[in-house]
Amino acid sequence: MKHARLLGAAAAVMALALAGCGTGTAASSASTAGSAPAEKVELTFWGTYGNGGNSAQTTALAPLIDSFEKANPGITINYVDMPYDQLKQTLTTAAAGGELPDLLRSDIGWIAQYGKLGAFAALDQAMPDFTTYADAVYPGTLAANAWDGHYYGLPLDTNTRVLVTSPEALKAAGLSKPPATFAEFTAMAGKLKGTKIKAFADGGLGQWNIMPWIWSGGGALTDDAVTKASGYLDSATSVAAVQMLVDLYKDGQIPNLIIGNQGATGTSDGLPGGNYASILDGPWMVDIWKQQYPKFTPNYSPVPAGEGGSVSVIGGESIVMSTSTTHAEAALKFIRFTQTEEFQLAMAATGQMPVVETVGTKAAEQYPYLAAFTEQLKTAKARLNIPEASKVDTILNNHLTEAFKGSVTVQEALTAAAAEIDPLLAK
Amino acid sequence: MTRREAAPAAGGASRQALTPWLFLAPGLVLFLVAIIYPILSAAQMSLYDWNVLSAASSKFIGFDNYVRAFHDPVFWTALANSGAYMVLTVPPQIILGLGIALLLKAKSPAQPVYRVLFYLPVVTSWVVVSLLFKYLFADEGLINWLMDPSMAAPISWLSSRWAAMVAIAALGIWKGIGWSMMIFLAALQGIPAALEEAATMDGANRWQRFRVVSLPAIWPAMAFVLVMLVIGGFNVFISVLLMTGGGPAQSTEVVLTYMYSVAFGDLDFGYGSAIAVLLTLVVFVLAMVQLRVYRTDEEVSE
Amino acid sequence: MRMSRTVRTGTAAVVRHAFLIVSAALMVTPFLYMISTSFKSQAYVLTVPPQFIPNPATIDNYVQVWNTQNFGRYFANSLLVAVTSTFLSVLLSSMMAYAFARFEFRGRKLLFRIVLLGLMVPTMMLIIPQFILAKGFGLLDSYLGLIVFYVAGNLSLNTYLLRSFFISIPNELDQAMQVDGAGAWTRFTRLILPLSTPALATTTIFTFLATWDEFAWAATIIRDADLRTLPIAIRLFQGANATQWGLVFAASLIAIIPVIAVFLIFQRYFVQGLTAGAVKG
Repeated sequence: MKHARLLGAAAAVMALALAGCGTGTAASSASTAGSAPAEKVELTFWGTYGNGGNSAQTTALAPLIDSFEKANPGITINYVDMPYDQLKQTLTTAAAGGELPDLLRSDIGWIAQYGKLGAFAALDQAMPDFTTYADAVYPGTLAANAWDGHYYGLPLDTNTRVLVTSPEALKAAGLSKPPATFAEFTAMAGKLKGTKIKAFADGGLGQWNIMPWIWSGGGALTDDAVTKASGYLDSATSVAAVQMLVDLYKDGQIPNLIIGNQGATGTSDGLPGGNYASILDGPWMVDIWKQQYPKFTPNYSPVPAGEGGSVSVIGGESIVMSTSTTHAEAALKFIRFTQTEEFQLAMAATGQMPVVETVGTKAAEQYPYLAAFTEQLKTAKARLNIPEASKVDTILNNHLTEAFKGSVTVQEALTAAAAEIDPLLAK
Repeated sequence: MTRREAAPAAGGASRQALTPWLFLAPGLVLFLVAIIYPILSAAQMSLYDWNVLSAASSKFIGFDNYVRAFHDPVFWTALANSGAYMVLTVPPQIILGLGIALLLKAKSPAQPVYRVLFYLPVVTSWVVVSLLFKYLFADEGLINWLMDPSMAAPISWLSSRWAAMVAIAALGIWKGIGWSMMIFLAALQGIPAALEEAATMDGANRWQRFRVVSLPAIWPAMAFVLVMLVIGGFNVFISVLLMTGGGPAQSTEVVLTYMYSVAFGDLDFGYGSAIAVLLTLVVFVLAMVQLRVYRTDEEVSE
Repeated sequence: MRMSRTVRTGTAAVVRHAFLIVSAALMVTPFLYMISTSFKSQAYVLTVPPQFIPNPATIDNYVQVWNTQNFGRYFANSLLVAVTSTFLSVLLSSMMAYAFARFEFRGRKLLFRIVLLGLMVPTMMLIIPQFILAKGFGLLDSYLGLIVFYVAGNLSLNTYLLRSFFISIPNELDQAMQVDGAGAWTRFTRLILPLSTPALATTTIFTFLATWDEFAWAATIIRDADLRTLPIAIRLFQGANATQWGLVFAASLIAIIPVIAVFLIFQRYFVQGLTAGAVKG
């Protein structure tokens, strides 16, 4: 008896749920069926413009897609916003099942990996006018799309890290402007000693974190042909740049956030909160701080220059076409559209920095906060684009953590890291 | 107590033999297709340098992935951490879960409220509670503040291997008590009231009643909870991923976070599958040993 | 005698309640903190030291959660999938558990171990073979694709749990019914299931929670925005560079309501337990 009631309750709930959803399903399937005459092409485009519920980018994208569809009758773009969390897992599984979308906004760090797998199409082969577009974008952003002699995407948006400083901390250090050189940077740290403010903070020791310092110090990760890390990553200049940070760390001027203490105050809260004097970060922080810390007005200035000048690291996304698309012509049309001033400038309004040089200049005039980043991009370098890039970051993180903790010297750590990276480059 | 399978009554012996299979068939077919076949596929992957995109072109490398795991210090660290997490979380969950279930067994107006309160952590999503605990155990978080409100020398819980494992285990225990409580409650409710009454009338005290009446009745449930918690302990994943990310320098990596980064980060599915197979073997052997100890896997009557 | 006994019972009750209150408070505090956070604007989320009473308090998160996405639709999707999967999974597993608990047959032990294997394999590694399988059966991007794999994924746990409970039901009851001429199906539905309501309620609660919360598989096979379940919608609030935790917490709290409801409905069956009459058959 009791059980019968239990089953009855479950069945009733189920029936209700079925009834509730049935209408919605019918309506949506009818609408898709109605809008698909034979000659029409529907392209699926995956992206993460949803940006964690911050709708500015998706709002900017919608009219652009409308405008493209109007100019290209017969092509509809079905943009699907993907959760950023585990996107790579979804993408990989889709690739394994041959279910990739036609178009994808991919992190530049993934290009080589999926290019090697054969999931992304080589655009320099698929696109007859590829060079026209390739010549128009910042060389650094284009380089990030190359692997094994081919280009597997075109840059879509770009970003880089600049030195962000807190005006209050600068005042506490007796400075009128952010440190522009390594010498000024360490001098600032010296002045802050004894205060509660730490000179610099970062959240890790991968390429994204450490390479701006090594490059600016005149060092390198590998040779120009990307065949060897030994002799470059562990050169005297690379060691000196890292040593500067390790010395500051030992002096208590850099928090253990950098070696992966997830319990330390994060950079995005620690800078406005007065814990840290400076961090390296990207253009997205402008909007985030505007919302979270409306009274905070940080300085954006170039990465402190060492013997190698002021050299930062390039981030961003690319537009790629999957190898499984059956509508390559239409997909290429959309890729071309993403390189237009219309598209690039509209997205720039939401913090997506343009990749086309001419548009970049225009955007910097229109949105002054982008100026510091645009300037930094001129010299910024790309991370390694090899399929094993994620392993390189793990290797750097593991060895440098030991150096920061003091269990090995910086020279030993970098030599060991280089020795582990060498075989990855030889592949 | 001896228990025999009821002797065949009416109907042929062949029909009798068919009966259990009719009960098994629908679930079993689904299980074999949707779970066992994928398990075999994953096991197969572990013998290859697997190419996700074109399975056919993958290179057969025999047991190379297993040999690699054997020589991989990170794998051993991860296995040790998963084991440590299991050891830290299983006993408290059983003892506290059973204790609370015993206290909540009796009828009273407040019982449903307590049950909901203890069950709340179970229904809350792992993502959210992991984030919450990360902040509770932050350098300037609530735990440090409670230990020393002056915050003179806060502990960096998440910056060293064992302190971080303690924080992660605290989350596991907190979130798991309600789960074992539920199972024990259900088992305790299954005890015929007459048995308890009889024992009381015989003059048994509280402990004697627990030992003679309750414990035997919940023994199968106890075995179930223990096996499930051991399995769950070795499969800890999201809390580690979100609280430490396996860091610093991979020192808090557990088997599943490592497997995840190998498979979906490096796209090395052959090696990732090998790690999964090894973990399954470890857990399977442990579970079988436990079931043998509890003898619920054997025919109870024998 | 009587006096001292009452005093002892009284003291025990006080200790018992004190213990329950303290531990319940410990269990609930982080949860209350989550509720409090859902009423904070982003600037005040997760401040250090923690701020328990939101100041200023806002319901913006809830409004935004409900309005930015098609949240009601996702809620209904999740409900449909979770209810159907739970019902089917509990039904199929109780049948399997009955076979394992009450019948002798060749390969029983081996088969049961194979079922247990389903609990031990990290499900993440199955996701690629399962995806290819789902594609082969045409189950991608559909409710059915979610339901089929959710039912299958919960079979092991439920079968094991229910078998443990079925075993503890005295076999003499079966035999008595069999003497009266009841077949296996009758014994299953009239005797075993009614005697196992606490266990069935437990599996129902667990399965509902598991399917309600599942993210990885749903994110893998669902593309159509109209078919999204709640966990996908919630994860969409987590961005690459910033996560709006107030939104995530508010959305998660809305998502918890049905699970609590299911818990409240089914835990009722706990209190009743077994009456003496039922055991006497």
